[in-house]
Amino acid sequence: MKSAWKAVLLLAIMAILVLFALGLNNDPHAIPSPLINRAAPDIVALDLAGEPIRLADQRGKWVLVNFWGSWCVSCVAEHPYLIELARKTRDRTDFTIMGVDFKDTEQGARQFLARHGDPGYRHAFDPNQKIAIDWGVYGAPESYLLDPNGRIRLKQTGPLYPGWFEQVALPLIQAPLTQTEKGAP
Amino acid sequence: MKLKCCFLLLVLLFGLSGSASVLYSGERGEDPSEALVRKIAKDLRCAVCQNQSVYESNSDLAKDMLVVIRDKVRAGESEATIRDYFFQRYGDYIYLEPTTAGSNKILWLTPLVGFVLGVLGLWGAIAHWKRSPVVPEGTDAEEGVDPAVKARIQQALDRMEV
Repeated sequence: MKSAWKAVLLLAIMAILVLFALGLNNDPHAIPSPLINRAAPDIVALDLAGEPIRLADQRGKWVLVNFWGSWCVSCVAEHPYLIELARKTRDRTDFTIMGVDFKDTEQGARQFLARHGDPGYRHAFDPNQKIAIDWGVYGAPESYLLDPNGRIRLKQTGPLYPGWFEQVALPLIQAPLTQTEKGAP
Repeated sequence: MKLKCCFLLLVLLFGLSGSASVLYSGERGEDPSEALVRKIAKDLRCAVCQNQSVYESNSDLAKDMLVVIRDKVRAGESEATIRDYFFQRYGDYIYLEPTTAGSNKILWLTPLVGFVLGVLGLWGAIAHWKRSPVVPEGTDAEEGVDPAVKARIQQALDRMEV
């Protein structure tokens, strides 16, 4: 009886230690997005040129939605890859990129693009970060990959890195859609 | 007459302090919906500062979240709807106080289970101590001690006397 209690106590302590060790690997700043596999909120805004831009117009394509701001240091590091990705995927009819410039000024955004290069795709302008909050964004850069039905399939918190498209996005794009994914969101 | 004057002075003092507290409460003349905005914002966690509410935080994100809450309250949305709006986007991280729903039940029940187990353990231990035999007074307490040990103790005591 006594040894049984000892075994239970030992197991309980081990379980707590294992949970503790697993918890140590968690990033306390990372907030997992509940939007994964759910319909993305629509974006209806003006772009940096003052023209209307709408996310729903891209339905039928995989869309990479990239949240950035000229104030964000990591966005500078990410930018060359976005330029390269936009160039590489220019001829793809099933994939497009859309930027969301948030908590920024139009002038700041224009200066950023002039200084670090314009990747060529359009950016929704979100000065009060209403779109960003609607998407559960809490930092920059953050990117979401949407499937042709407008469903968010994954979120990348932090900068996209060279090889991200081939390693992360392409396997999803090339995989056949399951029955539930084919249905309207 | 003197007493009357003192009384009047006291009334005046209390009256003044009362109006001062109304003047400086910061809530005088505010929009009635602001109380609801404050209540919701105090329960939501600022997503970039970990342990501050949206209401208390000075971060840009928290300030803009407060604007979103204010807009929604003024549009007539209920507290539950607004809380759910943020929950759908940031998950239960957004609640300063964890909810009691789903797997969070474990969080709330574990201390209770631990307490009950502790009480049971303590009760068992006390019962065990009560059961164990107590040497009655007047009997040889050294009974049952190994003679070899006894001899060694005696040897040590003898050495000390020298």
